[in-house]
Amino acid sequence: METNENNDHDEATSAHAGETSPATGSTSGHDGARASSNSDEGELYGVLAEFDSPGALVKAARKVKDAGYGDFDCYSPFPVHGIDEAMGIKRTILPVLVFCGGITGTFLGFLLQWYCNASAWQWNVAGKPVWSIPANVPIGFETTILLSVFTTFFGMWILNKLPQVWHPFFRLDRFTKVTDDGFMLGIEAKDGRFDAVETKKLLESAGAIAVEECYLDASPANTKMPMFIYGVIICTTALALVPFALVYKARASHSKDPHYHIFGDMDFQAKVKSDQYNDLFADGRSNRGEISGTIPRGWLNDDTSYAQGLENGAWITSFPTSVEVSRDLLRRGKQRYEIYCSPCHGVDGRGAGMVAVRSQKIGQGILPRNLVDPGAGVITQPNGQLFNTISNGNNTMMGYGAQIPVADRWAIVAYVRALERSQFAAGTDLTDAERSAAMGATP
Amino acid sequence: MSAAHEASLHPDEKYKAGKMGQKVVTGGLVGFVVLTALSWLLSGSAAGHTADGTGHSRFFYGYLIGWTFILSIALGALLYVLIHHLVKAKWSTSTRRVAEILAGTFPIIAIGGLVIIIPLLAGRDDIYWWANKGFDHAEHVSASKHTWLSPAFFAVRYVIYFAAWIGLARYFTVRSRKQDETGDLALSKQMQFFSAPAVIIFALTICYAAFDFLMTLAPQWWSTIYGVNYFGGAMIAGYASIALLSMILQRTGRLQRSITTEHYHDLGKMVFAFTFFWAYTAFSQFMLIWYANVAEETVFYNYRMFGEGWKWVSIVLTFGQWLIPFVLLMSRWSKRILPLFAVFCVWQLCFHWLDLYWNVMPNYHWGAEAHGAAHLVTGPLTGPVGENNVNFSPVDITTWFALIALFIAGIGRGLKGNLIPVKDPNLGASVAHENY
Repeated sequence: METNENNDHDEATSAHAGETSPATGSTSGHDGARASSNSDEGELYGVLAEFDSPGALVKAARKVKDAGYGDFDCYSPFPVHGIDEAMGIKRTILPVLVFCGGITGTFLGFLLQWYCNASAWQWNVAGKPVWSIPANVPIGFETTILLSVFTTFFGMWILNKLPQVWHPFFRLDRFTKVTDDGFMLGIEAKDGRFDAVETKKLLESAGAIAVEECYLDASPANTKMPMFIYGVIICTTALALVPFALVYKARASHSKDPHYHIFGDMDFQAKVKSDQYNDLFADGRSNRGEISGTIPRGWLNDDTSYAQGLENGAWITSFPTSVEVSRDLLRRGKQRYEIYCSPCHGVDGRGAGMVAVRSQKIGQGILPRNLVDPGAGVITQPNGQLFNTISNGNNTMMGYGAQIPVADRWAIVAYVRALERSQFAAGTDLTDAERSAAMGATP
Repeated sequence: MSAAHEASLHPDEKYKAGKMGQKVVTGGLVGFVVLTALSWLLSGSAAGHTADGTGHSRFFYGYLIGWTFILSIALGALLYVLIHHLVKAKWSTSTRRVAEILAGTFPIIAIGGLVIIIPLLAGRDDIYWWANKGFDHAEHVSASKHTWLSPAFFAVRYVIYFAAWIGLARYFTVRSRKQDETGDLALSKQMQFFSAPAVIIFALTICYAAFDFLMTLAPQWWSTIYGVNYFGGAMIAGYASIALLSMILQRTGRLQRSITTEHYHDLGKMVFAFTFFWAYTAFSQFMLIWYANVAEETVFYNYRMFGEGWKWVSIVLTFGQWLIPFVLLMSRWSKRILPLFAVFCVWQLCFHWLDLYWNVMPNYHWGAEAHGAAHLVTGPLTGPVGENNVNFSPVDITTWFALIALFIAGIGRGLKGNLIPVKDPNLGASVAHENY
């Protein structure tokens, strides 16, 4: 517009004239001059009609719709109730899109957690199963909301064809009133029913206080985006990449500065940790052990074969009489084994657990014992000795007596025995029915 | 000015209650008495917790469920009124009197609650274990709650809760009805001003009431979000009941033009929102307990998830109170096709009752009946999980219906005068309300 001398002059005139001369039609006075100068420039885009109230606009919209027009739109300073229905606009499909977006979010959230926790990097947290729905619900909930919100926000923009930085009606001075007190209806010339004369007549009969034609700019130079806009886009994009560049640069950097403590009372709690020095006690330790000569209620177990795996000073080779080896016990043992033992010994007992793999990778630590290899000697150990190793540890392995109750330790012993047996099982060990069931279960 | 407000109603609109209220009160009270007597007789054959085995504890448990059910509807309706004034809402004006009528049932609910309070004060332990002498010997977790859980203090809190609720309901109902006469705008201002402290009073009382009436059934167990979960259920019940009562009143030919599909649509949105809110709080309670896995806390879910029968109630509740209505109420049309929406309201009320049943009934199995005289008092949520079955009894249903009848009598008391705040300055905006 800045290149259009005529327009500049026009605006000056209209500012000078002020609001004292109400527009009465496209052929009279000032508006006529404006329209004729407009018509010289290019092809007809459409006609714009102004109405004096929202109610008149709604009525006119209904009339235009009933006359069979489709390519028309209404413009007003505020949302006008009932205009959608009057214009014959169908309900938006946005809710359907948002629903699909939300479902996708749920699915992706669960997929992410399944991949991270249950597939790519199985890591036991707090004895929970690697794949458990309750733990996954909060993330699934969040991703559902995230994708719903994205779909709503971007869907609204796309369905409304936003952002729209320019519209042909901007060429008409009258159109600036729609941000203030103008209620306008524009019909595009591309509509099949458009007729330069009849359409204007229709709008006038619908109660328009003014009807104007709008022409497109004929000069291609004026329809191009100004160069500086490209500059702004390039600069903004470059600036937006700076934070990512800084993050990339910092990915392997070190800092000797202390941490920021935002929540001081959370980082430094007024409590004593078990390994801290404490001068309240003579030995200077915070951690108080059990009082010698005492035992917690219910912990006394004078059945040594059950509590220690010993009978008359020798390891027992079978199971204590109170332990019944059953399918349930093995199932329990498998679960406990995978929680407590598999991080080092591996789920198959061959010593390739997460910890072992990692320690080999960084060249530290020694390999855990292969539980199922006859050469490693665990297979020939009596049950009682295996139980003792779980309870009290062996070599660099710590005892697990504090974490695993006695009954569960026996379950693990039973499961390790089953694991060993499975390495040397022949097909004939199973009945035909069991074999076909097992074959069917194994892909 | 007031003439202009009345002009916002259609000239043919019928908004006077007439004499319908008296019949409803009589019918409700008769139903309550008959059904309560029937429930008492039915439960008489079953042995109760007390040492002599003559208690009617099944009756009392069923009564407690039905009573907390109608209480939650009244509480939901009360908050509807408070929120309406708090946010200076316009759309909800035309259904506000319906909510005020529902919230006006607190006095009759308070009288109905005496069936629970008086035996408790008389030293009976039909419902609450902490009223049993065996509780004195209980573990230290329960022992620290002795002061709070004494029948006398319990009764004092009962009086405080109902004084607060009756007071709040009266404050807003009286002013609203007075505005019908005078059209005084100052009354709107007063109600808006008081609604903010009123919401705080409401939040504290509903939370503590849920702790007292329901959570102390198993005094060794606690959950700080328990009251919020009860509140979520109360809001579902409240909004569903406002919609249903409006539909019933419209069937009598009243309020034809003032309560429209647009209002039901918005009420449906609130039912939908609180359906999710209820599930959100229920899951919040579950997940923290599941994750921490501390025996004192997991005991609550142990009996509900692994008890034969209760497992299925839990699953049915998850689908019935949350997933199915959540997915189906999402659609615009399930709220705008009114017969369908009415079905959803009834559905949600039934499952709200099941929610309370699920909260209350697993505590029923304790004392002589479950474990014999040798272990007379073991307390709720003790003993083998497998023995704690649902053991559904017809008394559970008859007591529920008895209390619904009582609630209907309470509604009847409010069916008088105008059924719509005729001179509320926002009535015109509400009648013309539309959703986009």
